[in-house]
Amino acid sequence: MPSKASPARWHGASLAALLTAWYTTASFLVVAGATGSFYLGLADNLRRISEQSLKDELDVCRALVRERGGDSHALHEEVEIDSAVRRYQKYYVRVLDSRGVPLSTTPGMDRDLSSARVAQAASSHNGIFWIDSPAGAPYRAIVATVPRDATGREVWTLQVAVDLAQEQEVLGRQRIWVWTVLTAALIFCPAVGVAIARRGTRPLREVAETARHISSTTLSERIDAEGYPVEVRVLAVAFNAMLERLEESFGRLSRFSADIAHELRTPVNNIRGEAEVALARSRTPEEYAEVLTSCLEESVRLSELIESLLFLARSESPGEHLKRTREDLGRLLTDLRDYYEATATEMGVVLKADAAETILADVDRALLQRALGNLVSNALAHCSSGDTIFLSVRRQPRQILLEVRDTGAGISSEALPRVFDRFYRADPARSRNSGGAGLGLAIVRQIVFLHGGDVRISSEPGAGTTVSVVLPQSA
Amino acid sequence: MKLLIVEDELKTANFLKRGFGEAGFTVSIAPDGSEGMRQIQSGASDLIVLDIMLPGMDGWSLLTWMRGSGIETPVIVLTARDQVPDRVKGLELGADDYLVKPFAFAELLARVRTILRRPPVREPSTLRVADLELDMAGHRATRAGQRLDLTAREFSLLSLLMRHAGEVLTRASIAGSVWDMGRGGDTNVVDVNVRRLRSKVDDPFPRKLLRTVRGVGYVFENPKRS
Repeated sequence: MPSKASPARWHGASLAALLTAWYTTASFLVVAGATGSFYLGLADNLRRISEQSLKDELDVCRALVRERGGDSHALHEEVEIDSAVRRYQKYYVRVLDSRGVPLSTTPGMDRDLSSARVAQAASSHNGIFWIDSPAGAPYRAIVATVPRDATGREVWTLQVAVDLAQEQEVLGRQRIWVWTVLTAALIFCPAVGVAIARRGTRPLREVAETARHISSTTLSERIDAEGYPVEVRVLAVAFNAMLERLEESFGRLSRFSADIAHELRTPVNNIRGEAEVALARSRTPEEYAEVLTSCLEESVRLSELIESLLFLARSESPGEHLKRTREDLGRLLTDLRDYYEATATEMGVVLKADAAETILADVDRALLQRALGNLVSNALAHCSSGDTIFLSVRRQPRQILLEVRDTGAGISSEALPRVFDRFYRADPARSRNSGGAGLGLAIVRQIVFLHGGDVRISSEPGAGTTVSVVLPQSA
Repeated sequence: MKLLIVEDELKTANFLKRGFGEAGFTVSIAPDGSEGMRQIQSGASDLIVLDIMLPGMDGWSLLTWMRGSGIETPVIVLTARDQVPDRVKGLELGADDYLVKPFAFAELLARVRTILRRPPVREPSTLRVADLELDMAGHRATRAGQRLDLTAREFSLLSLLMRHAGEVLTRASIAGSVWDMGRGGDTNVVDVNVRRLRSKVDDPFPRKLLRTVRGVGYVFENPKRS
């Protein structure tokens, strides 16, 4: 029965397309992930820096308020002059006295960050918060109280803010870079994916191309997968093995057809020749009778051969039915022994059947008789006076073993693997006249296969041969 | 006994007519289904030998028509097709027996005789041919008063041959009757057994009752003095 993997999983899609899609998605995600995380890291770092800077400034002002007490000149300098000079990460400070009146303010702060605005934003946050000017300029700010002196009776408020304009600018440039990279990736990744997929599947296409050229007349060709990637080589090797088997099958079939024609031709030639020669001149009735009888014998041989061939042909096609009946295999063997007893005795061969226990099985009686009969015939043909043939049947786990063992001449090791081939005769000297057409064992094998079993042969020249038939025990 | 043979192949029809004619039957031939139908309707045959592969109306149709019209004449079907379904079909449609071509004429003759011999005649308790006597009940064989020493199988073989005295039995039918060996088996084995039987039954005596018919089989009969 043909077996299939599950192609439904692939939905008939192109392998190259799938590879491209996966590669593109994966690489794009990697690029996006890398640039994204880099960007976020940068933003985070810049934030930390500005927050730290803000805290620093707050501490400085605090120190100035606390330590330099009434020295408002230093504070004034820090708040109104030093900060104004800065260009990068400009910060703004407002000092409010305990009544909320601004004592010192960095120039320009009032425009963007009025006291009220800052205070309002601070009310809903703890610590550092983000705030924007009415125009939308972004700042980070913090509001803290600081006691004026050690007594703590007078508490001033410090409002410190840092300008985020540059930070935003840096981030903005970075964002442009990220989008550019992603867009480029969006174009680049698929393109590379397609190229890789196409290159990757090229060996497959080449192998398919070679395979396309192989037909029944060029079966001896093989796919050369030298230098191809391992996976494709595996495919090519499997393919070549299949071609090997096909070539062998074709070879066997055409040899078989040629053999059939030859085998059929021989008796037909005999009949034709004998009749033609006999009719060439006037003969006596006895002579005619002799010729006719000989023709009859040849015809019978011919029809038996045809019947054997038809059997072999039919048994290979699926649906060949067996007429199974419950049979005692031991009885079958003893019946067989009875049948061949006279012949064996005449040859001086001892024929034994071992049927100690009753072994029942559902088999086609006529076919199995024929198969076992062929085996006994073969054994007799290889035995001479003094030899013994043993017929036995034994029950084994999940199977039944039938054996025909003889102590005869045996079969050579060159001939042994081919004994089941059609028309094969191990001893070429044993012509059609004394033996059969060489179909006996082929028929045995077919019958055994039809029963779902297997047949094996082992032999030692000079010691004997054993043929083992294994039948599955279904019941 | 009147036989109708429905067969379109000329040579086959000819040898069947000749063979059955010489066996004592009156034979008529119909070369196709419709002629067969006409002959069945007009005359009374004791048995019909029917080929399946006929031009025009095929054998199955003729058989179906016959049984459908209530004609109970026994029918033996001949065919070159040996599929199990065909056999079953033949018997289901009302045929009495089924023979595959190529067949041994002796086989066909034997089957015709078997069918026409019904209802079955009671087994005689003693079989006798010339000076050979077989006591079926006591399983004893004697010739010219002398007791013959036969094995059980040899006795079965001898009684089969004697029961069909005068009829040629093929090796295949002998193998089937005496040893219950199915079709397609090795029939040369029968030769050896017959040879042994012959050595016990015929060789010690002047008149040879067991005759070999080359290419066909064996026959047991009292040879005519010529």
